[in-house]
Amino acid sequence: MIKLKKLRRNDSLGPLESVLFLDFIKGLTITMKNLLRKPITTQYPKEKITPPKRFRGKHGHFVYDGQEPPSLKAIEGFMSFEKGKSRCVACYMCQTACPMPTLFRIEAIQMPDGTKKVVRFDMNLLNCLFCGLCVDACPVECLTMSDIHEMAVYRRAQAVIHMDDMEKIGATNAAAVRNLPDRIWRDDKERETLWGKVKWNF
Amino acid sequence: MNDMVFTAIVIAIKILVVLAVTLGLGAYLTWYERKFAGHLQARRGPTVVGPFGLLQPLADGLKLMTKAPIIPRGVDTKLYYMAIMMALVPAIMLFAVVPFGPSFKIMGHEIKPIVANLNIAILYVFAMGSMAAYGTLFAGWASNSKYAFIGSLRKAALIVSYEVVLGFAALSVILLAGSMNVFDIVDSQIKSGVWYIVYQPISFILFLFCLLAESGRVPFDIQEAEAELVTGYNVEYGGMKFGIFPLAEWYLNVLALCAIASVLYFGGWAGPHIFGPFSGFIWFLAKTFGLLFFVLWVHWTLPRYQAKDVVEFAWKYLLPISIINLVGTAFFIYFKG
Repeated sequence: MIKLKKLRRNDSLGPLESVLFLDFIKGLTITMKNLLRKPITTQYPKEKITPPKRFRGKHGHFVYDGQEPPSLKAIEGFMSFEKGKSRCVACYMCQTACPMPTLFRIEAIQMPDGTKKVVRFDMNLLNCLFCGLCVDACPVECLTMSDIHEMAVYRRAQAVIHMDDMEKIGATNAAAVRNLPDRIWRDDKERETLWGKVKWNF
Repeated sequence: MNDMVFTAIVIAIKILVVLAVTLGLGAYLTWYERKFAGHLQARRGPTVVGPFGLLQPLADGLKLMTKAPIIPRGVDTKLYYMAIMMALVPAIMLFAVVPFGPSFKIMGHEIKPIVANLNIAILYVFAMGSMAAYGTLFAGWASNSKYAFIGSLRKAALIVSYEVVLGFAALSVILLAGSMNVFDIVDSQIKSGVWYIVYQPISFILFLFCLLAESGRVPFDIQEAEAELVTGYNVEYGGMKFGIFPLAEWYLNVLALCAIASVLYFGGWAGPHIFGPFSGFIWFLAKTFGLLFFVLWVHWTLPRYQAKDVVEFAWKYLLPISIINLVGTAFFIYFKG
């Protein structure tokens, strides 16, 4: 239960307040407290804050490594997966869920043995608004979002990410946070040094 | 003849020292203000250029000087350039009557560390404070821009209102001291052993308000209100032409007025002789920078008044209070002193 502190605000200051500049002094004490405090600046290129666990950054693909959900186990036989490669099944669910569907380019081919192989999974991140609907839509828990947020590039073509990029992200950045407890901040200690002690409600 | 040459040399040295010190300080006050403002808001301020960002003013100066000189269309070119000097010169001239310490003797000559030991020093300060308004006014008028013009009009209204209050506030101190000479004012404080802020706390607060208003500091910075007027009267200036205005108004003017305030209310260089022969100078600088600290502190804390409120505040509250204070002081001196 959150406690609300109710403040009453008068339209005009009382006589004592206006003569002694009490409101001025109140403000000045606050800034003086800040002056004596340690700066809370994160000096960005030198030090970086770890993004929260649920941060929605650059997209990644979880790879075919034996941690698949049951939904994938059912159709595993019809797919031609490789170990350490994307476990996408090219169901187009992500594209269907996307508010801007044209940013996806997904292609799959039929292998000689009749199985399905995804050959292309491109995302034009310039059109992406990082809503995460594609991640929720994915039935085989393949598509995911990592904590990579420094995505500035020099050319538009570089903003399009391909399947091998996403496999790499899925194997590294996304896999690192995958099994962490579902808290906002991954590393409380690091956060406390920057922003002070946090009281969690749960 | 020999005496005259000596005097001329001494005056030239004084002018050079004051110019160098004030302009250098003016530049470094930008660093000080940015650092201070940063820490007031739990930030760091400049850290990258040099140790603690100490070379930041030099970098800023270089950057301002290498900017392309752009003059907007429809500008009154003569006034446009003149306004820069009109803003800078009175701000520097204020330092002519700032006594940096007690008088000392070199080669049998008594030297006072002041450029011009005027009998009407305080009056001169008021005059130069009003002169600074012309720089702002001309800058706003010549720029041919609505923001600049509104800003300069606001400044004019502000100066007209607060110059009156400033005069009345300082007049009660002048009544107590019996002189407008800065040396006499400080000497009478040293002689009586009491700083005039003890006798004149109300006058000091009024003076502080006027100091903030004259130098365009928060909460009276309506002429360069960033939220409404971009940056007010200097919006059409660029490069070092722009750099002069904040230097003159925000730094030199504030520094000079703080020095005058410390002379009027805090006994100038009065203080215990604990720093050897330089103790007077150190006390004076300490008091001046203490006041400056307070001004910056207020600037980076408070929000801004509305333009109408600022003028109303001056005419409806500050002026009556200052007149009552002055009359009270006059009665006190007449009956007791």
